[in-house]
Order: sequence, then structure tokens, then C-alpha cells
Amino acid sequence: MALLTVIGRGVRIRGRVTGEADLTIEGHIEGEVAVSGDVTIESGGLVGANVSGRVIVVRGAVRGDLEAEDLVRLEEGARVVGDIRAPRIAIAKGGLVRGHVQTGGSSSGRPATASRAKVEAPAVRRAPVAPPRQAPAPVSAPAPRAAPVPAPLVAKSAVSAPRAVAAAAPAHAVSKGPPPPVVPALKKGAKAALKKKAQ
Amino acid sequence: MASTVIGAGITIEGEVSADDEIVVQGTIRGKLDAREGVTVEAGGVVEADIVSGPLSVAGHITGNITSSDKVELQAGARVVGNVKATRITIADGAQFKGNVDMDV
Repeated sequence: MALLTVIGRGVRIRGRVTGEADLTIEGHIEGEVAVSGDVTIESGGLVGANVSGRVIVVRGAVRGDLEAEDLVRLEEGARVVGDIRAPRIAIAKGGLVRGHVQTGGSSSGRPATASRAKVEAPAVRRAPVAPPRQAPAPVSAPAPRAAPVPAPLVAKSAVSAPRAVAAAAPAHAVSKGPPPPVVPALKKGAKAALKKKAQ
Repeated sequence: MASTVIGAGITIEGEVSADDEIVVQGTIRGKLDAREGVTVEAGGVVEADIVSGPLSVAGHITGNITSSDKVELQAGARVVGNVKATRITIADGAQFKGNVDMDV
């Protein structure tokens, strides 16, 4: 059975086009196109909404997102304003795209793992930092590696311990665990000494 | 062959207007306006008001039909709705329920 559908040049559709067949669009569709077969938008064809299918070939214009199960191919003369998502994407010379283009199966995989890695990293580093409360000297060692944050006001004190803690603080803010103690590990009376020095 | 074919397995929900002939093997719901003519083949379903040139039906139509030309209900056709046309033929084996209005 030939499940061929052609939307000819002189045709305008305002509404949804759905189904389980291949679709060739030479006319105008102002509505969503969602088929399980292949979609071809010929030159002169226009779709004003999202398009999804197995293989999407564009030679015309699309104002909406393209999402294919297999392949999106933009050929010469294609104009797409919208995001493209498919395992494989080909954009030929002369194909115009304005939007986010993403290849690969999982849609939100990469940004998610990236942010997770960022969160995990300081958590690992924090482990050695937290316990040696009394000895501030080793604390300063991992800190510069952790985050080269421009030294905040506390660092003016020129004591190594507060600097380390201050630098680590923004990193902790990213993680979801209980917030670490913000109070710098100062010796008793150090604060008073600083105050006196400032005066 | 008509340049526009709505194949079997395709459903259009909305308004379709065409300057050329349309062949319907799938489903159209909404409104259909085809000046050059419409052919609803066996298996095709149109649940819409139709304004067209010549109309040939072997499938199912639910909706009012206004044709500037001939309306042809072939055997196996099932039409529910009023038909307004200049000429009409209803073949043996076609089902039809509705009024016929012919310009005289």
C-alpha cells in the first residue's frame, strides 16, 4: 500500500497533521506536523509550527522546532527558525538555521551531567578541608586549586586560614548538602587583634 | 494525478484550503475548501463541511457539501449531510442521508 501523502503547492492547512505515513509538503501548513514516517518539506513549502518524524528533509521553510527519530537533513534553500534535535543532523551548504541544534539521542543528557560534575567536584575536595579545624596550614593547600576566586574582603587580613575558607565558600554554595561552617577558623583573640590593627 | 494527496494513515485536523485538486485517502476533520475539486477515495474520511468544485466520493463524508459543479456518490460511499450542487449522481450502493439542493 502506497502511503504517500503530498500537500501540493496551492494548499494551505491551518491545523494539525498527524499520522503514520510519509509526507511531502509543497504547500503551507500553519500547524503542528507529527508523523511516524518521513517528512519532506520541498522548496516553496512552509510549516509554521513544530515538525516531528522519522527522517525530516527540508528544502523549504520551517518556523518551529524539528525533531526526528533518525535524521534531519537541511538542503540548499532550507530556512529553519527553531531548534533541531535528532540523532543525526546534516546541514548542507545554503541551508539557513537560527536556533539550537542538538545531535544525539538523549535530549537533556549533556547539560545535566555537566552540572552534576560541577556539584560533585567540590564535595570531594571539601572532605579534607573540613576536619582540620585547628590546623589552618594544610587547609590553604587545596584551596587555590579549588577556585581561583578573587580574594574577598576577608583576605585583607593576610592570614592564610580565612582566605582558604572564603575561597571554598562559593564552591560549597553549589552543592546541595548542609552548608559548611562559614566562621573562619581563627585563633582566639585574632579578630580583636585585626580590629585593633585596623584602627 | 492530483498534486495533493492526503494519504491513508494521515489525519488533518483543521482547515484545509486548496487551489488545486485534492485526493483524500486519509482523514480530514474541520473544514475543506478546494475550488478545483475533491476526490474522497474508498477508505477516505472527511468529517468537515466541504466547499468545492466537482466532488467525487467513494469514502465517508460527514458534513455539508457545497459544490459549484457535479457531486458524484459512488458505490460504497457514505454521506451524511446536506448537498448543494448543480448536478448530482448517486450510484447504486451509495448510502446517503441528507437534503439535496440543486439550483434550478
